[in-house]
Amino acid sequence: MTGRTEGIVLRSRTLGEADLIIEYLTKDFGTRSAFAKSPRKIKSRFGGSLEPFTHARIALTGKEDANLPRLTQSDIIRSFHPLRENTPGFIKACQFAELVMKLLPSEGRSHNAFALMLWGLDGLEKDPASVLVPLVFKLRLLELAGYAPALNGCTRCGGQTDVFYPRDGALLCGGCKKEGPALGLSAALIALHKSLSVFPLEKLSRIKPSGALLTELERFVELHFSEGVNVHIRSVKF
Amino acid sequence: MARGVIENLIEQLTKLPGVGRKSAQRLAFFILNMKDEDALALAGAITALKQNARFCQKCFNITDSDTCEICRDSLRDRKRICVVEEPSNILVVERSGGFNGLYHVLQGALSPIDGITPAMLRIKELVDRVHNDGVDEVVIATNPNTRGEVTARHIKEALGSFNVAVTRIAYGLPLGGDIEFADEITMKKSLEGRTRLE
Ligand SMILES: [Zn+2]
Ligand SMILES: [Zn+2]
Repeated sequence: MTGRTEGIVLRSRTLGEADLIIEYLTKDFGTRSAFAKSPRKIKSRFGGSLEPFTHARIALTGKEDANLPRLTQSDIIRSFHPLRENTPGFIKACQFAELVMKLLPSEGRSHNAFALMLWGLDGLEKDPASVLVPLVFKLRLLELAGYAPALNGCTRCGGQTDVFYPRDGALLCGGCKKEGPALGLSAALIALHKSLSVFPLEKLSRIKPSGALLTELERFVELHFSEGVNVHIRSVKF
Repeated sequence: MARGVIENLIEQLTKLPGVGRKSAQRLAFFILNMKDEDALALAGAITALKQNARFCQKCFNITDSDTCEICRDSLRDRKRICVVEEPSNILVVERSGGFNGLYHVLQGALSPIDGITPAMLRIKELVDRVHNDGVDEVVIATNPNTRGEVTARHIKEALGSFNVAVTRIAYGLPLGGDIEFADEITMKKSLEGRTRLE
């Protein structure tokens, strides 16, 4: 539970006069909270390394079972400062952080989630207005969290269908369908979803869906989130 | 009986920030040995604070009347407003002696992830003051961290249509510090904010 790893700051909360509790997505220990002594004092040695989305090499110390280890070292690998200076991009990154905190289990190795978060922050820093980056981030995170939508025919009987039922998180055919909201998906969308799920992150920039397909993907992801995953996101546009 | 009252005070004192059990004990016994009038004055000050403290109707500083002392002070420069996150920040700016205008307390800073939106802060009231009071300069003295920065940018946008200078306090290295220990962002901000030596 303690030791050296890499971390991305998801959120910080003040504690007492000058202390902070930092919530990290770590590379090796899942999401972790850590106690940082006096970072709010002007001369703190932590400097700007505890600001949201900073990717840093961190050291956590504490007893094996301590649920709040102490942060003893934090050296910036990448600050993501330009991202924090763009309010719309910053708010999208806040949504990423919220989703990680709400959907990911807090224990265990987290190399994939860590790589995904870095990919998402990098994409937002380069293009804060990107529509695709947040959508891919959400889809891939859902997969890591075990909420991936099943889009390979009817999930009950295997029959042919393209109607998505978000409350089941899956396609259902006319014979197996249930009450509740549904959305017919185009063959192009189902194919796009598959590519976005299996492509290595570093090659995702090669996928350039049309505007219409992107809009369809957006509706599909929104519906899956609001009806199926059921997480409430607080980070919204001002 | 005696143990009961001292225990009670110790417990109350541990509710203060930075006061652990040990310090609370020391403080409690210190208060026990204080002169009666001093101890009662302390208790009275706490009671008076909780009974009379309210927010200044103009700037949202803490006051015991409708408007605070600073807003009532006719010697202050009414064309300048310094925007801070919390009332306690006013004390720090005042102690510096570097500002003689009025203040505006936002009562927090924007934080999307915590659900803190512009509507939850006193931003509309600031815009109204700038609109109504002929303000020349708004100095944004929110904290030099992400929340403070997001808030500063939002205020700048909110005041975009007014003929008012929106300035931000300078970023940089703390006096008495050492460049060796500066992080890259502080250093970058210090370079961007460099000034000509006069
Ligand atoms: Zn079926
Ligand atoms: Zn006032």
